[in-house]
Amino acid sequence: MGHSESLPSYQQFHQGPAEEADSMQNLRHAASEAFQRLGLKQRHLGYEELGELDGVEKPQPHWFHTLQVRRLRVQRGRSNSDPMGGKSFQQEFQWKTGLQFGNATSYLNLEKLGEGTYATVYKGISRINGHLVALKVIHMKTEEGIPFTAIREASLLKGLKHANIVLLHDIIHTRESLTFVFEYMQTDLAQYMIQHPGGLHSYNTRLFMFQLLRGLSYIHSRRILHRDLKPQNLLISYLGELKLADFGLARSKSIPCQTYSAEVVTLWYRPPDVLMGSTDYSTALDIWGAGCIFIEMLQGSPAFPGVADVFEQLLKIWTVLGVPTEESWPGVSDLPNYKPEWFLPCKPRQFRDVWKRLAQLPYKTEDLAQQMLMMIPKDRISAQDALLHPYFNTLPPPLMHLRDTVSIFKVPGVRLEAEARDIFSPGRRMKSPLAPLAKCW
Amino acid sequence: MKAPGEEEDGRLDTLLSNTLARERRLWRTPALKSGCIQGSDISPTQYHEVIVWLRDTSGTFQFSSETFALGVCVLNSLLAAVKTQMKYLKCMAITSLILAAKVNEEDEVIASVKDLLEQSRCKFSTAEILRMERVILNKLHWDLYIATPMDFIHIYHGLLMSRVPGLVRAGSQNRPVLQASLWTRQAQHCMACHQLWQFKGSILALAIITLELETLAPDWFSVFTDLLRRAQISSTELICCKETVDECLTALQRSSPSNTVYILDSSSVLAFRRRERGGHDDTDGFWCLYDERPSMKTGRRDGLQDMMSSCPPLLHEP
Repeated sequence: MGHSESLPSYQQFHQGPAEEADSMQNLRHAASEAFQRLGLKQRHLGYEELGELDGVEKPQPHWFHTLQVRRLRVQRGRSNSDPMGGKSFQQEFQWKTGLQFGNATSYLNLEKLGEGTYATVYKGISRINGHLVALKVIHMKTEEGIPFTAIREASLLKGLKHANIVLLHDIIHTRESLTFVFEYMQTDLAQYMIQHPGGLHSYNTRLFMFQLLRGLSYIHSRRILHRDLKPQNLLISYLGELKLADFGLARSKSIPCQTYSAEVVTLWYRPPDVLMGSTDYSTALDIWGAGCIFIEMLQGSPAFPGVADVFEQLLKIWTVLGVPTEESWPGVSDLPNYKPEWFLPCKPRQFRDVWKRLAQLPYKTEDLAQQMLMMIPKDRISAQDALLHPYFNTLPPPLMHLRDTVSIFKVPGVRLEAEARDIFSPGRRMKSPLAPLAKCW
Repeated sequence: MKAPGEEEDGRLDTLLSNTLARERRLWRTPALKSGCIQGSDISPTQYHEVIVWLRDTSGTFQFSSETFALGVCVLNSLLAAVKTQMKYLKCMAITSLILAAKVNEEDEVIASVKDLLEQSRCKFSTAEILRMERVILNKLHWDLYIATPMDFIHIYHGLLMSRVPGLVRAGSQNRPVLQASLWTRQAQHCMACHQLWQFKGSILALAIITLELETLAPDWFSVFTDLLRRAQISSTELICCKETVDECLTALQRSSPSNTVYILDSSSVLAFRRRERGGHDDTDGFWCLYDERPSMKTGRRDGLQDMMSSCPPLLHEP
């Protein structure tokens, strides 16, 4: 079934600033060594050439040979392998001659970042332009071809160009392996929250939430659901840019045919309707997940940390929202897993009584959280409306009118605040929470 | 604060323009040259047969109509991009369908490639399918998320529902008039007709919907022009497509008598009837109605004016 449980992280978090600098130096050294080794080979086979060679080495059924590319009459929009859409990026920034997108030798593996059931992620460097990249090596099951998660992720990401969606640079596809090349992001929200325990700075939370909702609004307006939101899937750059990643479970429709796979690892970010077996979910599914992440950023711990099963997960939700009844939620009794007799009746509680941090913040924070974590899916606020919520009023107005591909950090004055706590340097406040990384490359 | 209907309408408008952009970016179709698909020896009839087979196969696999439609769009893009031969068409077709399923379907629905091949009684080996999968992804640059006619049917349907709620209950039996599922079936049929290749999904879907609208809703014209404007389609192209769709569906109707494609509601006064099937006067003023240049067909102007004056007021929401 090849589910993408999230790849643990794009950044190993056990390094402090000092070690960080050391390791970067090592890394540079390793990279330059490797360049020298590989630089001797002036010309490597591109993917197209490999494809044809394959045919020579191993005889294939006759039909294969006649599938040649015709000279295209229409100019194709973007090449598979060229993130710059055919512009002269390569000519401007090329490091080495003869290196191409789509070619495995154009990238160097530096270190392993994480492993999931569907892929292993390495940190790498592009020999074409010197940029750091994340290399997601897809595990191939030989009898089933390319996993659906990979096909979904690539075909969806190809059409998504947004400052808050991770950028797919390149695809390296050979007979034996498949690698997606993504832009490199220094960390993810899960690691960031570990590094800064006890809840994030309220201003930073606002910036992260704004970006998360901006990304969601963009995909939702294209009828795409992410379906697997969790802090590990929200990548963060050294500036504080947040990007949605891991679209392996995403789908291009809001009309589901079958049940949501029960296999996905964590239930913490799943809405009650889906936990009770509803298959009629839509964009509200992602909004619930985003609401949970909102609480987690403020509070410093997950909003509904169930242990493993659906029952306990629902219990966690009911203790805050109350056990739903047919009166409070018309139609709830039709859901397959609606078993009110399993639960003691409990009344809805104020969010600020459950999550204390909300009590210390202006009411609009709690209000937005409440609108995102509504029990009934259709009552949940849309991503687009959430961006207009008074909670975001304190952000500079130009943020509301950015073009899709422009980062919010392009707006003057928008920058991350120093977090109150940092486990790597407990004694002092850092100028910027990710400052040491910013100097590296 | 906007009214809920208006908000929904705005959302659908955004979705429509995004989907149109996707169509512009990715939609490709094979050209015909000397009786065959360009760069191949595949005749339109052979193509038709394979698509009909693919539709049945998709049904056997219990794939949704969206998956079938995406499969055909992938196949068409591939045929537009490579030279090939008839003997590979079936393998290309079923692999396109499997790829569409990987994009669209829940993973529980997709059987293993081996099982799919058995069910479809194809003689291909798994290795052949996987090799083809690689070829398709490579030739189409992994860009498989093509806008299909089904996408547009859903969007137009939503727009009609939100803009013209009166249409929902038109008809004497109060039955839902706008049946997206019926249109979906018609679109599946049309996708097999090579005469309709040249039309994008946005046009095909609108042509199918217009054919039903004009028989069922007296005020269809204003609704139609609104959709036409939003979808940025030229009226000439739509008329051409609509005529062809009409021919294809008529042929379908003749071949299956139980088909309930066209139910004429006698209670609705049709100010403007579509042409009689098989009649000589094919346009029956239709051309004139769409034509923004009335000078070209002056003889028809009276008919147009009669029609206009008998049209009920626009049903647009204030």
